[in-house]
Amino acid sequence: MTLRDSFADAFKNLFANKLRSGLTMLGIIIGVAAVISMTSIVEGGQRKLVQSIERLGTNLLFIFHASLTPEEQRKFAGRSTGHKYGDALAIRRLRPELLVAPILQFKKQLRAGDRDYSGQVTGTVPEYQEVRNFRPAVGRFLVQEDIDEWRRVVVLGRDIAEKLFGTGSALHREVKIGDERFSVVGVMEPKGSLHGTNYDELIFVPVTTTMRRFTGNDHVNFMLVHVPNRDEMEAVTRDIHSLLIQRHDGVDDIRIRNQGEFLKAIDRTLWIFRIVLGGVALVALLVGGIGIMNIMLVTVTERTSEIGLRKAIGAGRSHILRQFLIESVSISVVGGLIGILVGIGMAYGFGDLVARAMPGEGDWGAVVLPSAILASFVFAVLVGITFGLYPAIKASKLDPAEALRYQ
Amino acid sequence: MLIRLHNIGKTYRTGGGDVQALQGIDLSIDRGEFAAIIGQSGSGKTTLLDILGCLSQPTEGDYWLDGRAVGSLSDRELAVVRNQQIGFIFQIFHLLPRKSALHNVELPLQYAGIPAQERRRRAIDTLRLVGLQDRLAHWPNQLSGGQQQRVAIARALVNRPAILLADEPTGSLDTRSGREILEILVQLHRDGQTILLVTHERDLAEKSGRVVTLLDGRILADERREAGDPLTQPSLVGSTNRVETAP
Repeated sequence: MTLRDSFADAFKNLFANKLRSGLTMLGIIIGVAAVISMTSIVEGGQRKLVQSIERLGTNLLFIFHASLTPEEQRKFAGRSTGHKYGDALAIRRLRPELLVAPILQFKKQLRAGDRDYSGQVTGTVPEYQEVRNFRPAVGRFLVQEDIDEWRRVVVLGRDIAEKLFGTGSALHREVKIGDERFSVVGVMEPKGSLHGTNYDELIFVPVTTTMRRFTGNDHVNFMLVHVPNRDEMEAVTRDIHSLLIQRHDGVDDIRIRNQGEFLKAIDRTLWIFRIVLGGVALVALLVGGIGIMNIMLVTVTERTSEIGLRKAIGAGRSHILRQFLIESVSISVVGGLIGILVGIGMAYGFGDLVARAMPGEGDWGAVVLPSAILASFVFAVLVGITFGLYPAIKASKLDPAEALRYQ
Repeated sequence: MLIRLHNIGKTYRTGGGDVQALQGIDLSIDRGEFAAIIGQSGSGKTTLLDILGCLSQPTEGDYWLDGRAVGSLSDRELAVVRNQQIGFIFQIFHLLPRKSALHNVELPLQYAGIPAQERRRRAIDTLRLVGLQDRLAHWPNQLSGGQQQRVAIARALVNRPAILLADEPTGSLDTRSGREILEILVQLHRDGQTILLVTHERDLAEKSGRVVTLLDGRILADERREAGDPLTQPSLVGSTNRVETAP
C-alpha cells in the first residue's frame, strides 16, 4: 500500500461523506481563517500607525508640561511653572541647529461672511511646517515677520478652508476668530488624521498674536523640537531638560518624549492584541481538532468490519494506522487550504470595514504575512495529526476476528 | 503437511466467567485437500476458522502452518501470513462498497507491495478465472450476490494462497448462485488448491473429500471419503483418550 494509494482511499472516503467531511473541515477553516485574518489586521494596523507617526516627521521631541501633585503644588507655590514662549527661544539660543516649535491651542468661534464654525486655533511659529513636515498648498505658511509684528494672519487647514469659503479661493479673504479679524495668507495641503487629530481642520496663527490677542500671557501648551542628527537625541533631551528646570525655578514639570518611545508603546499594545486575538484563533483551531477526533472516532466505529476485512487480507497495524491518520490529516490539509483563502478574504474585508468605520484614518489595509499563512497551515496539519492519532491507534489495535464480525 | 493443530484450545474471558469455545483440537490438513468443518452454531467452528486464518490466537496448544509455528509470530508477521498464505471467503462477501470489482481484488496485492501495473494485470487474470472479466469496473452494488461472491473468491486467490478458507460461502445466496460458487470451489480443488470449507449444511460439506464434525468445541468425527462416493471409513476420534476437564 503506497502513500499514493492511501491518499486516494482517504479522499474517496471524504468525498463519500461530503456533508460530514465539510462540517468537520469547517472547524479547521474557521480556525485557520481566524489566525490569518486577526494577525493580518493587527499587522496592517501597526504599519498604518508607524507610517502615520513617521509622516509627522522623524527625530522629533515632544516637550509636555507634567501636571503637579497637590503636594508639589504647595511646595512650589509661587514659582514659575509651565512652558513659556521664552523657553522655546532659550532652547533655540542654546542649540541653534534645532528647530523649535512652541504650540498654543484653544477653541474659538470662526466666522467668514455668513458661515460660522467652531475650530481649533493653533498658535505657533514658522518652524512648525518643517518640524511637522506639513506645508501650505496655496499661499504661504507663517513667516518670522508675522511673529515679530504680531500680525493678524491665518493659515487654514484644507477642510476648514472648504467649510468657510466653499470651493472658492480663501486667499486674502477675511476670517473672524472670536472678535478679531484675520487675513488668510495660505491653505495647507491635505494631511489626514492621527491620534484623533484631523490636521485638515487646524488653523494656524502666529503664536505671539495669540498671546497678545487671546490668552494675555506668555504660556504655551507644549513644544515640538526637531533634532537634525538622530544620534544626538539623548544629549539634546538632557540639555533641554536641565535648561528648562533652571528656567522653571528648579521645578521639574517637564516631560520629554520622542517618537521611538511612542512607537515602542504602540508595539507593546499591539503585542497584547496579537496574543489575545491569536490565542482566541488558536482555541478555535483546537476546537476544530476536537471535531476531527470526534468524527474520526465515529468513522472508525462505522468501518469496524472494513478494518477487520483489511486485516484479514493482510493489512498490518501500521497500514490501518496510516490509513486513518491520512484521512484526518487530509481533512486538516484541505480545511487549512480553504481556511487560508477565507482568512485572506476576511483580512481584506475587515480592513475595508475598519477603514469605513474610521473615515479620515486613511485606508487601514490588512497586511497578510506569509509567515502567518505558513504558521497557521502547519498548526492545522499538526492538529490533524494530533487529534487523528488516537482514533487511528484505536482502529489499528482492533482485534481482526472481532472487527470482522462487528455489526 | 500444510496445517497441523495440536491440542488447540480457546477460552474467552467474559464478564460472566470463562467460556471454553474449543478444547483439545488435533487436526492435520494436507496440501491439496478439500476439507469441510461442520457443526451447529456454537459448536466452535467459527473460532476454529479464526485460529486457522491467523485472525486470533489459541489460548492453548500449537499451530503449524506450512512448517512455521504460528504462535511465535509477531502481529506484523501474522499480517504477512494472512496476506500471503491465506485467502478468506465470507458469507457476507465483505467487499469494500466504494471500490470497483477490480480494486477490491487488487487490495491484497496493495498490502503485499506489488507495483500498480502488475497488480492490475494479476487482478484482471484472477477475475477472468471466476468469469468476471467484463465486470471489472462494476461496483459491488451493481453486481448480483453470486457475482459479488465470485469477486470475493478472486480477491482470496489473487495472492496465490496456500489455503482458501471459506466461511459459509453460499449462506447468503440463492440455490442456483450457491451451486455456481460451489462448482468454482470444486474446480479450484481439482486444479490443486487446498480448501477448507466451514458450514452448517451437511450436503454442502459432502461435496468435499473430508468432513470434520465439531460439537461443543471438540472434534466429534473426522470422515474421509472418495469424492462423489458415499461416506466411507468413518473414523471417530476424541471419544477414547480424552476426559472432560472442567476449567
